Amino acid sequence: MRFVFETRYRDSLRLFRRPGQRFWFVLLAVALLTAPAWLDTFYVGELTWVFIYAIAGIGLMLLVGYTGLVSLGHAAFLAIGAYTHTILLDHGWPWPLAVLAAVGLSAITGYAVGRPTLRMTGIYLAIATLAFAEVVTQLISHWESLTGGFRGLPVPRAVVFGVDIGRSVPFYFVCLGLLVVGLWLARNLLLGPTGRAMNAVRDSEISAKSMGIDLAQVRSVAFALSAGFTGLAGALYAHQIGYLAPDAFTLLLSIQLLLMVVVGGLGSLHGVVLGAIFLGLLPQLIALVRDELPTAVARMPGLEPGLFGLVLVLFLIYEPLGLHGRWRKLRQFFEEFPLYRRHTHKRQRRYLRTGRLR
Amino acid sequence: MPPLLRARHLSLAFGGVKAVDDVSFDIEAGEVFSVIGPNGAGKTTLLNLISRFHDPESGGQLLFEDQDITRLPSHHVARRGIARTFQNIELFEHESVLRNLLIGLHAHRRTSLLDELLLLPAAVRQELAFRRRAEDVIDLLDLQPYRDQVIAGLPYGVRKLVEVGRALCLGPKLLLLDEPSSGLNPEETADVVHWIEDVNEDFGATILMVEHDLELVGEVSDRVMVMADGAVLTIGTPAEIRRHPDVARVYLGDEAVETT
Repeated sequence: MRFVFETRYRDSLRLFRRPGQRFWFVLLAVALLTAPAWLDTFYVGELTWVFIYAIAGIGLMLLVGYTGLVSLGHAAFLAIGAYTHTILLDHGWPWPLAVLAAVGLSAITGYAVGRPTLRMTGIYLAIATLAFAEVVTQLISHWESLTGGFRGLPVPRAVVFGVDIGRSVPFYFVCLGLLVVGLWLARNLLLGPTGRAMNAVRDSEISAKSMGIDLAQVRSVAFALSAGFTGLAGALYAHQIGYLAPDAFTLLLSIQLLLMVVVGGLGSLHGVVLGAIFLGLLPQLIALVRDELPTAVARMPGLEPGLFGLVLVLFLIYEPLGLHGRWRKLRQFFEEFPLYRRHTHKRQRRYLRTGRLR
Repeated sequence: MPPLLRARHLSLAFGGVKAVDDVSFDIEAGEVFSVIGPNGAGKTTLLNLISRFHDPESGGQLLFEDQDITRLPSHHVARRGIARTFQNIELFEHESVLRNLLIGLHAHRRTSLLDELLLLPAAVRQELAFRRRAEDVIDLLDLQPYRDQVIAGLPYGVRKLVEVGRALCLGPKLLLLDEPSSGLNPEETADVVHWIEDVNEDFGATILMVEHDLELVGEVSDRVMVMADGAVLTIGTPAEIRRHPDVARVYLGDEAVETT
């Protein structure tokens, strides 16, 4: 049996709390750092996609998994990040500043979306964010002088201090680095008062209020942070697709992002990465399946979104805690072997809750 | 010394029902003040008015430490030092006991978002200070065995205690308890007497408690307020309340009183 052993309060702030965790993370780091040397260029590109998805996933996880607010409009924040970054690069801004501006503008927009939707939850909030995303798509399509409309906008090469980082291997490391920083920031946030306040808002708004938590502030900060991370992913996304057009940021992309955090496991940063791997591999899987199917089915329009939906539904029914939840059960099985009991993870009925006072 | 909390002419109607009808009372600093009354007397609504979940009708006024809090938003009322528990328990279900208690300390947050994102020394110091305070509360309520357990898996009695602990983490001057003994077995109810005394004497919190268990009320209260149909029937010491003829009448009905 293994357990978390701590002798000082400070220990709970350590990066690796479980015994053996450090070893596996170092191994993972070595594998990722050397990957371009032994991996085919195609797969390096695929891994870069995974990193970008994961950065966007951190943003969405903060909002959906930790604050309990569902957004169907995160493709819009990705678009805002991507377009801001590209347009500023075109205006001769240095790369790091353009990225920061993309993050900043996305975060401000996120705050602006969070404020007026304060009283909305669940499906109503999802619809509001969906409407917001639609507005952004329309703006991008029709503001041709700025965004190029449907003609699209080529993304300039990424050059930092005279070094071209746009080629696949350097860009791989840039995305990896930003993902690690992003995960670290998110972890710190979740350790502290703001992270806890977000959890409080998710689990019981009424008692959050009675604990002195300002709902309006927490929700809009969650929106801003979420949009900021997604905006960062958007700036990287722009380089990865190379050519921006409004149809790259559709509702389907928002749903894919949501699928990623749900499949990964709501309420966990591990889940973000697992979900991003899943989302990165899914097109390959679908391509494999498609080859095996009869032509009439394989050519059917909407096969891909349909499969996404199917996966989402299956996870919600059979593993609501996602890949990370499945992993935790496996880990517990081995840690407690042979004492593991399946019912430990049985979902329980909740006790009666005080009626919402509004 | 002026009263800690002064409620003046509080009224609130839901549709045609007068839930609270012109209620006025004072709570002295340091006392245990209980509110009793039959179901539907407006006791919980009264607590919700003090927590500022509802707005009292015009003319009503709430003064806390001589400051008007009648129109203050809920989270500001909490930050002034009024904490509460709920009748049906409103804990953060997916979090551990410790994390629930730490959420209770949120009102003492002094760090900025940047401190927390980068885990700067100020954030670390605050986190350690929070942890020490949470551990003090864990000691006071004997919650050590449950520290790292998630709320969803805990027995009802422990959840009630965790909720009190979370309220204590706020460092309240006034603690509002909504039926602390409801759903508890007799042994756990006996424990309630002890921790109420601990919280009142060691922690120095004034307590406003809504409760149905008259034995418990009699044991811990300094003063008792009886409510019926939203209005105050009488206020007095537990002994006075027991002798008061109207009290038996609201609980037992007119005939029962006449035959005794």
